[in-house]
Amino acid sequence: MKKDIDARGLSCPAPVLQTKAAIDSESPVLIEVLVDNEAARQNVSRFLKSQKYQVSEKRNGSDYCISGKREGEAVMQKKAPEISKSQDAKIMVMVTTDRIGHGDDELGAKLMTAFLKTLKEIGRELWRLVFLNNGVKLTVDGAKDLVSLEELEKSGITILVCGTCLDHFKLLEKKKVGETTNMLDIVTSMQLADKVINI
Amino acid sequence: MVFPTDENVIVGLDRADDAGVYRISDDLALIQTVDFFTPIVDDPYWFGQIAAANALSDVYAMGGTPKTAMNLVGFPIKSMDIGILRQIIQGGVDKLTEASTVLIGGHSIEDKELKYGLSVTGFVHPARVLTKKNLQAGDQLILTKPLGTGIINTAIKGGLASDELIDTVTRLMATLNRDAAEVMMNFPVHACTDVTGFGLLGHLAEMVAGSGLGVHIQANRVPILKEALEYAAMGLIPAGMYKNRKFREYMVDFSTSVDILIQDVLFDPQTSGGLLICVAQDSSKDLLYRLKEKGILWAEIIGEVRTEPKEKIKII
Repeated sequence: MKKDIDARGLSCPAPVLQTKAAIDSESPVLIEVLVDNEAARQNVSRFLKSQKYQVSEKRNGSDYCISGKREGEAVMQKKAPEISKSQDAKIMVMVTTDRIGHGDDELGAKLMTAFLKTLKEIGRELWRLVFLNNGVKLTVDGAKDLVSLEELEKSGITILVCGTCLDHFKLLEKKKVGETTNMLDIVTSMQLADKVINI
Repeated sequence: MVFPTDENVIVGLDRADDAGVYRISDDLALIQTVDFFTPIVDDPYWFGQIAAANALSDVYAMGGTPKTAMNLVGFPIKSMDIGILRQIIQGGVDKLTEASTVLIGGHSIEDKELKYGLSVTGFVHPARVLTKKNLQAGDQLILTKPLGTGIINTAIKGGLASDELIDTVTRLMATLNRDAAEVMMNFPVHACTDVTGFGLLGHLAEMVAGSGLGVHIQANRVPILKEALEYAAMGLIPAGMYKNRKFREYMVDFSTSVDILIQDVLFDPQTSGGLLICVAQDSSKDLLYRLKEKGILWAEIIGEVRTEPKEKIKII
């Protein structure tokens, strides 16, 4: 089944909408869309790709013909595809302790070391690290996990360290990584984040 | 073309800026701007508000305070109910009132297509005019509203956006840049513009051109409406984005890690977008903090001015 659409003379988003309507109602295996401007060419081509069509383009004078071909049994995809993970989610990690879990403190500290070292595996969604209460001790001179934190900061992750907490432990001068922050920044961060992980 | 000028023109046509500025006395200058467009949302009252917020924005971006405004109307009186025009103008007036600006006149003509906008006049001290020029190495760049309204408006036109999203975007476009401008006045701001039709990168390109300096933008710090990325992937992109990209891509260097969809949003034409503020480095965090304190939660430091690459924008 082949579907032809002539979207010449139409400006965006009309060519995409016509293409979408045809796919929604007929789900053709082959589709050819004729457009006459550059924006429509790129938009229709993108839309077909987002619907899992293999796309090829031909230029004909000032017109473009965009052909899409779909595997017979491929399932129609109504929703837009997953966006690459660079922008769509912001994960914030709140660290309120210098060791993980209760029980053996030595083990807890080891786990924290492993945790901070592994955190980067979250990838680009990792957005902010916030240190509160005993957690601030991980950010000061002599802390053994500083290297992991410095690496994270270098890769563009914001590290916020609670000023009140540093002050309480008399560590204000000793902080080695991250920005000293306040509760408003922390609360704002929570609001902006898509996901807050609490350690 | 040569335009007549005189010694009191502080900002004129020779340098494309957000508005014209004319010195009246040693401590007072007039800011003048005009903007109008066809409807971008279905609701006439909200369209009026957005048109007014958009027109007022140029005065705020120049560091000024808006004082008076005049309506510009094109209306298809034969085919459209006059009640619609009343609602549009009510929206405009309400937004002007919020901005402590008075409507003192206007002009309307019959037009096949509905158009509405305003001419706005404001005051500024001649020594405190903020333009797109005067970037300094080390300056930090703050953006006060998220990008993506052009793409989302395209999806709205296509009937694909949810009511909730329409509501969010409408409110965002109708939000005055007044609060951001008021906060910014108390900081060593070197340059400012508002992000509109040329998109973030188009306006940044205007700032960086002729400066002898370069701008670095951290893509993952730029506030973006998530849905814009979804719609960009579906090809619901306004033709203006492609024009913006074609016009300025020679000045922009994208690192390979910057997704094509994000590139699109960075070039997406905005309606009534946020302020792009260029502030001295050591004040940037304070300014950001004060903006957020004032309720401008989308504000982010998105990049900085460096000596390299000269008159180019690097996106990492």
